[in-house]
Amino acid sequence: MRKALGVLLLALGLAWAQGDKLKACFIYVGPIGDAGWTYAHDQGRKKAEAALPWLETRYVESVPEAQALPVMDRFVKEGCQVIFATSFGYMEAVLEGARKYPNVIFAHATGIKRAPNVATYMADFYQVYYLNGLAAGALSKTGKVGYVAAFPIPEVKRHINAFALGVRAVNPKAQVLVRWINAWYDPAKAREATEALLAQGADVFAFTEDTPTVIQTAAKKGAYSFGHYTPMLKFAPGHVVSGQIVRWEVIYIDFLKKVKEGVYTAKNLENVDYFWLLQHKAVEMGADYGVPINPKHVPLLQKASLTVGGKKVSVYDRIMTLLKDMQSPKPTFDPFTGPIQDRKGVVRIPAGRKASLEELLTMEWAAPGVVGDWPGEPR
Amino acid sequence: MEEALLRAVLFGTPILLASLGALLSERGGVVNLGVEGMMALAALAAFAVGLEAHPVLGVLAGVGVGSLLGLFLGVFAVSLRANQFVAGLALAALGLGASGLLGKRYEGVPLPNPLPEGVLAALALALAFGLHLLFFRTRFGLYLRSVGENPKAADLFGVSVDGVRYGALALGGGLIGMAGAYLSLAYRPSWTDGMTSGLGWVAIALVILAAWQPLRAVFGAYLFGLLFFLQFRLQGSVPIPSEAFAAMPYLLVILVLALSGRARAPKALGQPFDRGR
Repeated sequence: MRKALGVLLLALGLAWAQGDKLKACFIYVGPIGDAGWTYAHDQGRKKAEAALPWLETRYVESVPEAQALPVMDRFVKEGCQVIFATSFGYMEAVLEGARKYPNVIFAHATGIKRAPNVATYMADFYQVYYLNGLAAGALSKTGKVGYVAAFPIPEVKRHINAFALGVRAVNPKAQVLVRWINAWYDPAKAREATEALLAQGADVFAFTEDTPTVIQTAAKKGAYSFGHYTPMLKFAPGHVVSGQIVRWEVIYIDFLKKVKEGVYTAKNLENVDYFWLLQHKAVEMGADYGVPINPKHVPLLQKASLTVGGKKVSVYDRIMTLLKDMQSPKPTFDPFTGPIQDRKGVVRIPAGRKASLEELLTMEWAAPGVVGDWPGEPR
Repeated sequence: MEEALLRAVLFGTPILLASLGALLSERGGVVNLGVEGMMALAALAAFAVGLEAHPVLGVLAGVGVGSLLGLFLGVFAVSLRANQFVAGLALAALGLGASGLLGKRYEGVPLPNPLPEGVLAALALALAFGLHLLFFRTRFGLYLRSVGENPKAADLFGVSVDGVRYGALALGGGLIGMAGAYLSLAYRPSWTDGMTSGLGWVAIALVILAAWQPLRAVFGAYLFGLLFFLQFRLQGSVPIPSEAFAAMPYLLVILVLALSGRARAPKALGQPFDRGR
């Protein structure tokens, strides 16, 4: 009897201690300090916690994909009501965990499979890549723009294509030289791939890798570059023109608020998929927060021009106009608006319409101007 | 072409330094599998001191930390006569983990005044020649080799086997530490968790490929550096998938390893020395 009373008191105590707090827990695939993917998610977590007084968070970093389920077990035991899994590779573990704990809410970053208690979310950069491509096309003197790429998957291909479309919009003869390093994090490979591209004449760089290595290497040879994932201006203040910056907190805050308000429950997430872009403020164009284009490079971009609808406009104005448009609640412009052919001449997006979400998420083709190996290229 | 040769040297340098470090202790009979972890900790120490004080002092810090870790390995591998392979693997894991833990505040911090790679590359090459002379032209070299070949005999002649092995681990650790310093102060120049990305293991493999000869290690390290660069230089211009290219440096190292089958390891390599037995 006394024991039962003790358990009851303990349970009450726990319930009281939790009070009105919502406990959200995060599973990270890499170390927080990687200045890339995981770092950005952790910034999002911290900012969400600062913005939502009723929110309590926990996280575990560097969780290998096979270890995700045990971490979820632990989280649930500790009273986590919402679990964010921040890597594509956690997909099976998330689905299994969701079946095991039907009352816990799961959200899977970059995921493609949902369930009543599993939502998916993504903050995508393709619009920002297009804008950076415009700047790259204007800044390249050799007409060769380098791209150091992680893995040949649709997400990375979509970004390279958007970037190449931007480059070509300014300089129709320019090439985007792509080198795959087959790693999300490998500074040595990023360094040597950049060196290889420099040796081939590339003088402007964009990349997908979790360190500022490409920027540091390019700057040594005086080449321009665009940061990726986090603000990278400080690594080469004279050479980082702009970049892609993510703001995961925008998604985290929206999602958690809706959980708190009871809009999202463990039963109605089947169709909850965030694919958030510039208009949702989940991503930002910039060399640093609030610095869309490095002031040092603005004059160069103002001098360069391109023709839009028969009228000559400066590249700088074009970027700013499109950025404003795509940040507005109802954007009229989209980089993947037809007609768009791939580099082999096959029409991929017919005239008069934008690429569908499905087409964006499964993109395998290569845009015109992309030069280099392209695994999985459709015939 | 010149570009490729330059990359061969500049990317080969950290591998060469680490390889020389491992080679030095193996000549004395001690296998050092801790290279990766030693490099990681030395890279962090070098970056921290390089950032707070001066990059040249950073190199010294990297060398110092490498030496200390070499001596630390010696406590287990020499004095306590533990299994050298296990002790080395433990050091590799410990070094990687500890550097990740201790280095959090240095992550994502740019180094304002990096060191020129060329100077350190030239130093590494000079050190390779220096080691060659040390092995074959000095008394310490003779002691070292005899301790690695036949520690019992060396002991009979009054050579302190443990002393020589500690010395080799400290010197070798210093070289490994310099490799780490090169990565964080010159090659990157930044520090991130796991930035050694397996180069330590390449260096260990290279010791065998180089048949325990410092000058052959120069060749091997530069060859690896060249192939590593070429995988990106040639990607897309020849119809070979990028994944196959990525495996090329490793495959070729293994191939050369197989072809240099005649290489003979120091006889007492991996065996703890115990006078009583």
